[in-house]
Amino acid sequence: MELLEKFGFDPVLLIAQVINFLIILYVLKRFLYKPILDMLKKREETVKEGLKQAEEARLLLESTQEKEKVIIKKARLAAEQMIKDAKTQAQEEAKLIEETSKKQAARLIEDAQRQIELSENETEKKLATYVSRLAIELLTKSSKELFSEKEQKEISQNAIKHIKQ
Amino acid sequence: MVTFSSESIFHLGFFNVTNTILNTLLVDAIILGLVFFIAKNLSKIPNLFQSGVELTVEWFYNLTETIAEENTKKIFPFFMTFFLFILVANWSGLIPGVGSIGFFEEGKLVPLFRGTTSDFNTTLALALISALATHTMSIGTIGIKSYLSRYFSLNPINLFIGLLEIISEFTKVISLSFRLFGNIFAGEIVLITVSGIFAFLFPIPFLLLEIIVGLVQALVFSMLTMVFMAVLSTPHGEHAKEVSH
Repeated sequence: MELLEKFGFDPVLLIAQVINFLIILYVLKRFLYKPILDMLKKREETVKEGLKQAEEARLLLESTQEKEKVIIKKARLAAEQMIKDAKTQAQEEAKLIEETSKKQAARLIEDAQRQIELSENETEKKLATYVSRLAIELLTKSSKELFSEKEQKEISQNAIKHIKQ
Repeated sequence: MVTFSSESIFHLGFFNVTNTILNTLLVDAIILGLVFFIAKNLSKIPNLFQSGVELTVEWFYNLTETIAEENTKKIFPFFMTFFLFILVANWSGLIPGVGSIGFFEEGKLVPLFRGTTSDFNTTLALALISALATHTMSIGTIGIKSYLSRYFSLNPINLFIGLLEIISEFTKVISLSFRLFGNIFAGEIVLITVSGIFAFLFPIPFLLLEIIVGLVQALVFSMLTMVFMAVLSTPHGEHAKEVSH
């Protein structure tokens, strides 16, 4: 104890220093370490969260891009298919139109031929009738002086008969 | 010449206000001022100053973590506070005017301020807190049974080792307090002596030396406390296992 007193030991001062240090300890703990460590922890969490979100966003972007590619591919395929379909349809239609028009044309030609035939026949018939009449008239006129009425009649009737035959 | 005991400036009732007490208040003011300044300006996006503070705190926290592992949360405040308080206290003795401004009493200079840690009462108080906290923490962490098993055993060899452990606990307090007191007090004497030889430029290397000594002693005291706490907060058997390999 005497040795300690030589070094200036004083219980009151000692207690004062103890109390002083405990106060400082409490204040530092309460107002320095806790807020700073909390802050560091919070910041760490924020950074982690941010990194995670960035990663998620990157993945989302990647998957979206992939989806986009797939969609575009699908759309292109669909468009190609559509064009193909349209082409075939158009070809078919063209064929159909061609066929119908051909048919129609054939029919028209046929009709026209028939009409021509018909009119030819008629003309022939008319011509025949006309010629026969002309012949009869000619016969009648020429036979008037040569033959009797009876003979005349017979001749004309004969002629008519021949003609009709 | 400087005396071991601090000089009384005035009395407050029975309380003897000495120059080291006044200096302690100065140290408190510096620390508390800084703490409140930091706490008030704490923001999620740190400025340079806050980054520095955070870096320091984190460095000390990680250092504690490497040694104390799961007891870090309990030990860290003691470690950091011992370091900060002793550092500021050591360096406060180097502030121009501290130790040199005062009044004459019976033909002797009585300085108004004198380095806090150059008073044996301060260092003893710190060492006692360190020891008390260490043992309280030890009991709280590993339980009274495991705590006592370190010192008392039925095995005669272990009993003897326990006795040595008990002695070492007292030596810890003595070594902690006297090391700090001796270093800082000696430093002050050196500075006074050197300044007495030639007061201009000549003391600068010694001042720089004292700055380093102040830092080193603060680190030594706080690190030792931290290590003692970490060791005593680990169960005895586990500790023995750790040592064995």
